Amino acid sequence: MTAPTNQASSTHAAVSQRVPLWRDAVVVKWTTQVVTLVLVLAGLWFLASQAGDNLVARNINIGFDFLERPPDIQLSEGIDTHPATGGRALWVGMVNTLRMAAVGIIFATVLGVVVGLARLSNNWLVRRLGTIWVETLRNIPLLVQIIFYSSVLSTMPRVGLDTGPINGWLHISNKGLSMPRVFIADGFYQWAMVMAVGGIAAHFVRQRRVRLHDESGANTSPVIWALGTLIVFGLIGIFIHPLFGFIGPIMGAVAGLLDSLPLLLPQILLSATAVLLAGRWIRSFLAGRRSAVGHLALSDDDYFRIIFTAIAALMAVAVAIYWTGLSSWILNSGSDLFRVIEAKFNVDGAARPFDAMRPDIVKPGKFANYGTNGLTMTIGFAAVFFGVVFYTSAFIGEIVRGGILAVPKGQTEAASAVGLSRAQSLRHIILPQAIRIILPPMGNQYLNLTKNTSLAIAVGYSDIVQVGQTVYNQTGKTLPVVAVWMLFYLATSLTISVVVNYYNVRMKLVER
Amino acid sequence: MSEFAGAGAEIGSFYPMSRPDTTPPVEEHLPPREWLKKNLFSNVANSILTVLSSLLILVMLRGLLGFIFNPLRQWNATAVNLRLLMTHAYPADQYIRVWFSVAAFLILTGLSLAVWRAGSRIPVPDVGKRVIALGVFVTLATLLAPFSTSARLSWLAVAVFLLVSGVAVSRTSKDRSVSSLSLLVGACGLAALSLWVIPYGHHSFIIDRTPKILAEPGTVDLTTKLPWTLMLLIAVAAYGAGLFLRDRVPAKVARTSLVLAWMVTPILLLFLVLRDPDFDMGHVLSTDIPIFLVFAVLGSALLFWLTNPETGEVGRMVAVTVLFLAFGSFLTPMRMIIRILMLLLAMFALAGPTFSGDRETRHRYAAVWTGVAIFVSWLVTAINTPSTVPVPGQFFLGGFSMTLMVAFFTLLVSFPLGVMLALARTSSMPIFRLLATWFIEFVRGVPLITILIFFSVMVPLFLPDGMSLSEVAAVTIGYALFASAYLAENVRGGIQSVTRGQHEAAEAVGMTTSQKTVFIVLPQALRVAIPPLVGQVIGTFKETSLLVIIGLFDLLFVAKAIIPNQTEFMGSTRENLMVISLIYWVISYSMSKASQRLEQRVGLGEQ
Amino acid sequence: MTDVTDVTETGADSGGVARSDRDLSNAADMIICEDISKWYGDFQALEGVSATIKEQEVVVVLGPSGSGKSTWIRCINRLEEHQEGRIVVDGVELTNDLRNIEKVRSEVGMVFQQFNLFPHLKVRDNVSLAPIWVRKKPKAEAEEQAQALLELVGIPEQADKHPGQLSGGQQQRVAIARALAMEPKIMLFDEPTSALDPEMIKEVLDVMKNLALSGMTMMVVTHEMGFAKEVADRIIFMEEGQIVEVGTPEHFFTNPTEDRTKLFLSQILA
Repeated sequence: MTAPTNQASSTHAAVSQRVPLWRDAVVVKWTTQVVTLVLVLAGLWFLASQAGDNLVARNINIGFDFLERPPDIQLSEGIDTHPATGGRALWVGMVNTLRMAAVGIIFATVLGVVVGLARLSNNWLVRRLGTIWVETLRNIPLLVQIIFYSSVLSTMPRVGLDTGPINGWLHISNKGLSMPRVFIADGFYQWAMVMAVGGIAAHFVRQRRVRLHDESGANTSPVIWALGTLIVFGLIGIFIHPLFGFIGPIMGAVAGLLDSLPLLLPQILLSATAVLLAGRWIRSFLAGRRSAVGHLALSDDDYFRIIFTAIAALMAVAVAIYWTGLSSWILNSGSDLFRVIEAKFNVDGAARPFDAMRPDIVKPGKFANYGTNGLTMTIGFAAVFFGVVFYTSAFIGEIVRGGILAVPKGQTEAASAVGLSRAQSLRHIILPQAIRIILPPMGNQYLNLTKNTSLAIAVGYSDIVQVGQTVYNQTGKTLPVVAVWMLFYLATSLTISVVVNYYNVRMKLVER
Repeated sequence: MSEFAGAGAEIGSFYPMSRPDTTPPVEEHLPPREWLKKNLFSNVANSILTVLSSLLILVMLRGLLGFIFNPLRQWNATAVNLRLLMTHAYPADQYIRVWFSVAAFLILTGLSLAVWRAGSRIPVPDVGKRVIALGVFVTLATLLAPFSTSARLSWLAVAVFLLVSGVAVSRTSKDRSVSSLSLLVGACGLAALSLWVIPYGHHSFIIDRTPKILAEPGTVDLTTKLPWTLMLLIAVAAYGAGLFLRDRVPAKVARTSLVLAWMVTPILLLFLVLRDPDFDMGHVLSTDIPIFLVFAVLGSALLFWLTNPETGEVGRMVAVTVLFLAFGSFLTPMRMIIRILMLLLAMFALAGPTFSGDRETRHRYAAVWTGVAIFVSWLVTAINTPSTVPVPGQFFLGGFSMTLMVAFFTLLVSFPLGVMLALARTSSMPIFRLLATWFIEFVRGVPLITILIFFSVMVPLFLPDGMSLSEVAAVTIGYALFASAYLAENVRGGIQSVTRGQHEAAEAVGMTTSQKTVFIVLPQALRVAIPPLVGQVIGTFKETSLLVIIGLFDLLFVAKAIIPNQTEFMGSTRENLMVISLIYWVISYSMSKASQRLEQRVGLGEQ
Repeated sequence: MTDVTDVTETGADSGGVARSDRDLSNAADMIICEDISKWYGDFQALEGVSATIKEQEVVVVLGPSGSGKSTWIRCINRLEEHQEGRIVVDGVELTNDLRNIEKVRSEVGMVFQQFNLFPHLKVRDNVSLAPIWVRKKPKAEAEEQAQALLELVGIPEQADKHPGQLSGGQQQRVAIARALAMEPKIMLFDEPTSALDPEMIKEVLDVMKNLALSGMTMMVVTHEMGFAKEVADRIIFMEEGQIVEVGTPEHFFTNPTEDRTKLFLSQILA
């Protein structure tokens, strides 16, 4: 509130002094941030050192050596029910989790779309059923549902050949559900190569049919032609698949090459990537700040950003160089991967790509159980499966319904104005627009479903959490197991969100 | 500002409540035949769908009723163990404390319903239609259920009564309407009356030397029916009091104090009434009160000086110094209460310049600090004082009360944390953004159960010597961190819906960043975020069921593991789970409905 | 040429002297801009803009859209940061000094094209919020002042409504009252009438005219030629981030020197 008496000259004199540090906006801003960062890091360090002291005091060892040691664990199901090491046991758990998540996502999506469409149906009864489904399932905790399904299944009659509903084909008993199984046989991978070639051929056939359609205007049904090509290749492939046996040795050679590479190579590659990324970021950042005439105007803030990027890159380089385990892991797992592929192609000519079997009952000891022939859902698997699928379908149903409703009413009216039928307008007008709205929340539901499979621990399905708990109950290594869990779920979540984001971006591009 | 009112629609994807119900209102004048034709048999496909879904409904209903009314079912497992389900091992002779707490909640509920003008008026004929629908359902159920002839006849009589009275009510004039709240009270009144009249049977679980189960014919025990009747009367009386106060107290004051009461009452009930701490008065007088007085007096003086507009940057530096002292206090052995009060004082001091003003404002700020200091000092003292209520096991509450308690504390802690994370994630400062983003994405990337196990195992390890934390508290911290990450994302959606113009306008009138955040951005952001936030509250309530995996005695644990292990009720898991499902369902469903209604009202008020 | 007749009418209404007759040569400098430049990435929004605005002076900034007028006045209360040059407002230079930024902002009032009223607050609270928390006034005093200001802009009866319930013109007048409540020495107007229906423009311009007559220092970005002609002491014409021409309204509207100015006038007055 100074009086406006100061002349221009005094004005200039007043402002030429240097701003005190504690009043400089940039300094205050960055000090606050750095101090917060330091406090957070100090807090974490404090907690970690407390935990370290306490661990030492209680004589608890937190090494990861249990991964290599033979555990005394028997898993209820999975690719390996008597794992040789703790690491192998956790691996089986991971596979079980991913299997549940993948199957659950597929079924929940199908069921959810049905539920969403039911809620929009013209039929009053169907609409009501949809509403009851959604409102019942999403308002009861998933864990309660899972335990309920498990307790219902465990009160089913004892396993036997007459526990139908359809004896010999579908059994429901206190050991779970069993049904016929179609599975991949030895010849599958060679057959898959034939199909890959077929896919390329189908692509060209489709392109040709589309071109024909564009030229003549006649209905050339390109999709049916492409599918036909694929089917032809599939049928042929069943007979000629040994053709691709040569892929095995090539893969073996690659694996051998990876084995012989020096450790330095991945280290250099990783460091170079980090430095390159940081450099590219800084370059594009500077380019963003540069005017057309090459003028560079950087605020203090910008300098801080550049410095932090550089520090981050240097830290990444340091990790790449000092953590040799990372580089050797990359080399080893790469060569392992190629060796596995090599083995897949190492089959003789008579193998079939697929096989199928009906459920069977065996009686190894005192109690009968399902044999390995059929596709069997144990009680644990069935409880978690129905739990996550039903629960997620309620949410997906709401998302689908919301997405379709969000398409403006004028679109439907315009579609019927140009004479499209209700089904046609749904297929060509409404769904393409709705899918854009539906996809992002759908990705969230997939993530939720994957994380919800961890509730398997309550009903004894051997997912990674349940296996992990068994492992740490035996070895006392809670912390390492929790770390493995979190890393695994973070990686899975990241993968799913990357995939969903990819489709989001693609959808947006298609829109333009 | 239409963009403000409409922004909620995009964010409410988790619980898409913002969409108006699509089922078109059934045209009332359509005669039944045409209604059937239009809604069920409009074409061949539709007719097939109708027949199929009718069959499905009949089969499902028949199976469900067959399950429920099977004589093998042990529904009295729940009736006998009701106390176990609600409070687990809380001693029966102290139950007056539980009833007192329930009454306190009902009083708050009654007052809130009156002050927020909840409820709507329903035309009487609509009520009649609902009653007819109920009658039809009861008829159908009677025909499908495996009843004996006499039971079937009595149920049919009930159905006929419902149908007749429904028809009678629906014939009344369309202009007459009835408040939905009085309908609710009427229904509750009928239920309470039935406790006194209908012989439900007298069940109880007597814990003596040899536990035994009492199941006699007759009406329910007096210790059940009398309190519930009283509770209903108290709720109605509280609503009446609310109506009386509503027109005499300014709305803003009434609402603010009620919100505060909702936050503070559960804590008071838990640690003062239910836990009944046995205060050591000598220690309280010699240590706790002096510590409090020092903080209250010195803190008030400091804050009074800090909120002076003339203080300037020196004040900020003093506030930062207090913050450092507070953090430093964790490095040296010291009473926990001092550390906590220091930390709180630092928060108040840092916020001081934002709320600086004239003498009156400064006095008020200091008074708020004193109030908070009183509450926190009492709370910390109470928690550290042994309880007089003898309860076996590690925690004095279990069952449904533990479910509610964990949900409440989770929300209480996670809400401010979530808002802070959201602000950090939308901040212009890159390190804040980075920290918040990492935390949020990390927590959202892993399942809740791994976090809960981590906290139940690790928190005891994190604590310095001499400090201990019950497992419930440790797990609640895990819940709160988990919920805060999701809350932060909801709030972030709200913050991003606040337009750039609002920020600029606030800056142009000279507000600091924190003033802009407190007075302009957050009020608008939180209003937009209401629907997803309610979804989050429901989610947290449902997630409390995961306590069972940690091995804490929540509602699900009692239903799943304790009752089915009683020799009398072996294998009653399915019955118990159905009962608790109903409890969870009623609460979640009514919360989501209430939020839908609230949102419609807010939406209307804005336009 | 409808604008011209319009101007003579409103000019007769207010009965004031033509503003350009006043002698402001001895007045103090309120805003000094020295050679300020600003880039958005590759795009240069301001190229060496220099101007001095005296106390009580009313300056209208004209120019085609995208010419940098808005950017310039937004730099003056640091809603945007300039990257080169100096801005001195009432003897306070705009630097990173927190105290200076706060001081300048509370002395410079700003009115936006989109009003930017706070939708969650009543009209009265919109006006009194900043005086209470920024100027640290007692609440009663601030509300009294708010009521007085609402009376000044002609809508005292709307104080208890929410902004969403008002018309555009009323909202913009509330926005002016909100800016005035901080008792600013300078008022900046960023196209205050561009988002208004034609019939509401006059009520806002009248308020602005009265403000100018009361001796407020004002910088106005607008397309209202009538207002510029009648109220402005000086007109600054900008194009492509540069000041092209400066002069009194008579000079500017009757014989502009620059070709670009002539072209602009012929387009806008056609």
